[in-house]
Formats: sequence, structure tokens, C-alpha cells
Amino acid sequence: MSSEAVVAENLVKRYGDVTALAGISFSVHNGEIFGLLGPNGAGKTTTIKILTGLTPPTSGRAIVAGFDVVKNPNEVKRRVGWVSSEVILDDDLNAWENLELQAKLQGVSNWRERATELLKYFDLLPHAKRPVGNYSTGMRKKLEIATALLHSPEVLFLDEPTIGLDVNTRAMLWDLIRTVNREFGVTILLTTHYMEEADALCNRVAIINLGRIMAIGAPAELKSSVGGEVVELEVERPIDLSRLRELPDVVDVAAADGRIRITVRRAEEAIPQIVRVLDFAAVKSLRVEKPTLDTVFMKLTGKRIEESHMDYRKFYAMIRRARQ
Amino acid sequence: MSALDALWGLYKREVIKIYRRIPPLVMTFIQPILWIVFFGSSLNGLPKEALLQMFGTTNYVAFILPGQLATSMMFTGTFSSMSIVWDRRFGFLKKILVTPAPKEAVFFSKVLGAATRGLIQVPVMIAAAVAFGVVLPADALGYVEWIVGLMLLAIGFSSIYLLVAIRSSDWQLPQLVANILNLPLMFTSTALFPKNFFPWWMRDIASVNPLTFAVEIGRGLLLGDPVDVISLGYLAAFASIALAMGLLISRKYLTAE
Repeated sequence: MSSEAVVAENLVKRYGDVTALAGISFSVHNGEIFGLLGPNGAGKTTTIKILTGLTPPTSGRAIVAGFDVVKNPNEVKRRVGWVSSEVILDDDLNAWENLELQAKLQGVSNWRERATELLKYFDLLPHAKRPVGNYSTGMRKKLEIATALLHSPEVLFLDEPTIGLDVNTRAMLWDLIRTVNREFGVTILLTTHYMEEADALCNRVAIINLGRIMAIGAPAELKSSVGGEVVELEVERPIDLSRLRELPDVVDVAAADGRIRITVRRAEEAIPQIVRVLDFAAVKSLRVEKPTLDTVFMKLTGKRIEESHMDYRKFYAMIRRARQ
Repeated sequence: MSALDALWGLYKREVIKIYRRIPPLVMTFIQPILWIVFFGSSLNGLPKEALLQMFGTTNYVAFILPGQLATSMMFTGTFSSMSIVWDRRFGFLKKILVTPAPKEAVFFSKVLGAATRGLIQVPVMIAAAVAFGVVLPADALGYVEWIVGLMLLAIGFSSIYLLVAIRSSDWQLPQLVANILNLPLMFTSTALFPKNFFPWWMRDIASVNPLTFAVEIGRGLLLGDPVDVISLGYLAAFASIALAMGLLISRKYLTAE
């Protein structure tokens, strides 16, 4: 087994005149949680569809779990699990029957033990015989993840795993995703447009916008790439700033209108140093600004993620026209 | 074998949906019984001799039962196309197609599901007909032929309806197609009336209409005038061609969206 669970090389996907993916390349290491972060319509779901063999790329190459998605789609499909953004389960079937169907589709022979183990793990065993239509959203999501894990996939694709969920369910799912990654040893590729989700869950993140990857790296790396953290002081009277610049963790100092903005590498370490060299009797307040992945996104694209969501009606109208 | 596993899993899902969704299940049984009760009784006022002369039996229900059952196989064929449209709309097809399960298994399971939904009507309808005074002949082989004929008819029509919706997510399409196909096919078969009532051009259509063949097998059994086994061959050819076309086309054209 190679050390890369997913390798995407210059993937392009066009629907008629609409370019959903304009040539993206990235790789996902075995065992990591990798996130595709970007606004709606950025091309995240299209990427997942290509990587799971659901739709072929217009051009480019993708190797998933060691197999080419175009040449060996069935080998890929045997080795990946997929959880869609909308929960897809058969509401007329109970949890057990949903799992059985998945087992038959994946050709898992010893599915009963595995299904029991998964239902137990996800606290669903007592509800196994209830029709899924009566499940809560959190339970449905858990059951979907359980079905996706039934055939012990090497790579699990989670498309917008927490979209539309309440805060508690989201927190529960984040924990679940982390433990699934750790305990089942499965590589996870997830898409999200929540920057805090990418930050909290992912070992590495690719920021994607308009079908292009803008940056790839660990969340901390990406955030420090936009110039570190800012300590802002509000002062009552001008104070002597000369010793600030000598501090090792200080990158830049700017003062205006009674506010001093000190750009530092890490605020936690810089603040004690700042306290030692400044006259704090004159300081009214202190505020720390840490860059988020949204800051990174803004720096790369000039817009916030929320402002960049594509207008879906326009997008689909465009695709419909293109298909005619 | 994994393709058969997939087919079995998918077919089991279709069967569970038949008995767990109560409203369509009720409709499946009520509709044909209404036919027997109302349409079957509509000619009871005629003199016995007239009925015997026109229909070969004094009980019109015995004449209409095979016609009604054959028509039902065609009508329930629509369930195959409705079911694939819903699976597409709810995204369930995506869920199936991200597994290595062959597309043909998806197609075949829908056809078998619709055929099953049609065939469960057979015992209920026969019992209803008995309640209306139909006397059943003791001819085991005859029943086997009749039921196999109905099954082939159901497979053929389910395949055709499913093919129509092979790429569609428009939930009105199945109904539209059913409305265009079902009534003309029913009226140009011998389901309701014997062929010698028809003008010449309708007789020509009736003599190639697959419905007619399934009707005549059942009617031959019930009215004591068995038809040639060649009718079964005709239905087998109809079912095989429709199914084979469906399997081939689904392999290439069945898509998740």
C-alpha cells in the first residue's frame, strides 16, 4: 500500500460550458483527516463524486486506495465509503435492513457481526429494529456513517458531514469522526464550508474556490501564512514603544488613534514579553486577534466564505442550459 | 456471487417496501376487487343465454377475471418506473452506484419488485372471484401456466416502463406514459370483451398484444377451453426481449442523477 490514500492530478470537470473543476491536484496521506474547505459551488461535491467513481472527470487522473477511478472504478468502490451531505437511508427499512442492503451491495459476507459491532459502537443497537424514518437527525447521520464503514473501507468520504445540524449534534459528530479515524484506522476526506470545522477536525486542509485549490496545508500553517496573530492595546496616553521591536516574537508594530497593533508570532508567548517592556499603567484594554481559516480564505480570494456561496438557482439554470 | 448478492439485497428491499407501505398495498388489492365487484356485475342483468353466447360462460366474472389480472400486471408495471424515479430524487441511486453492485442488478430488482407486486394480487383476486360464484376447475398444470404467463407479462411490462424512466427524475413521467400506454393496450386486448366484438383493425392489434395471450391462457383454463402452449412461448419471448433490452441499456445509461 502506498503512503497516499488519494492522489488527484489536475482533475477537470466540465458540464457543458460550466467548469466545475478547473484542474485540481492534491493528495491525502494514509490515516489523516483531510478537508476540502470552500463555499457552496466551489467544486467540493464534484471532487468527491469523481473520487468515489460516481462520475468520470473530463480530464485528469485520480488514484484512490491504490486504484485509478476511471480504469478500475469497482476496485475503488470496494475500498471507499461515502456519506452524502443529505442523509440517504431508506426510511421504510429499519437500521438492520439498511445495513443488510449495504452488505449485499458491497458483497460483505460476515456482515452480521460487523453490523452488530458498528450498531453497538454508534449506540444504535437498541434502535436497530425501528424504521429509520423515526430516527432523529443525529441518529440518521450515525447510521449513515455506520453503513459507510460496513465493508471496512480504506478511505471514507464525508460530504458536508454537519450541514444543517444543531450545535450539540455537530459536536457529537466531530468526536465521532475523530474516533472513527483513530480507532477504525480509516483515512477521511471531508468537505465543509465551516471554517471552524476544518480547523477543529482536519490534519490538513485544501482551500478550494471556483473549482481551483488556493492553498493546502495544516490549519496552523495556513493561518500563520497570513501574518500571524495581533495583540491590540488601547492606551490612554502615548507610551514608549521603542523596546517592543526588540522582542523576538514581535513581527510588526503599528500605532494610531490610541491603538497599538502588535503583530506577533504567537500571542500566548508574546504577551508576557510585552507586559515586561511596556508601561501597562497607561493600557486601558488588551485584545488578541487570531487569524482563522476565514482570514486565510479572505486573503486568498478577497472575500469571506459566506459571501462566496454560489447562487444555486443560477448555477443549476446554467447547467441545464449547458446540457441542452 | 456478488452480483446475485446485490440483486437479492435490492429485491428484498423492494419486497419490504411492498408490505411496509400500506396505502399502495391497499390500492393494489382494492382496485382489482372493485373491478370484479362493479365491472364484473355490470352485465349480470343480461339473459343467461346471451351471456353464454357472447362470453362462453353464464358468469361474466369468470370471463373478466383473467382479463383483469393480466391488465393488473401491466398497471403494476408502472411501479417499477415510479420507484426508480423516487430513488433518483432521494439520492438512493447514488448510494447504490457508489458500491460495486452492477447497474443491471438495480434494473432487474425493480422489474422483479413490480412483478411481485402484481403477482400477490393473483390469490386474492381468485378468492374474490370464487366469492362471486366462479367455479374453479381442477387443473394444476393449467394454473401453473396461467401464473407463469402473468409473471412473464409483468416482467415484460415492468421492463418497458422502467426503460422509459431510466434517466428521468420527473415523477410525472411514469404516470404520463402509463396513461398513454395502459388504456389503449387494455382496450385492444381481449381483457374485457372477446375478439369477435372488435372491428377488423382492432382484432389485428389484439392478436399481437401480449395482454391477449396472458388473458387467453387464464380464460382457457377457467372456461374449459385450454389454449395452445405456444401462447406461453409468445409471452416468454416478449418478457425476454424487454428484459434483455432493459439490462443492456441500464448497464450503459442508468445514472444516479
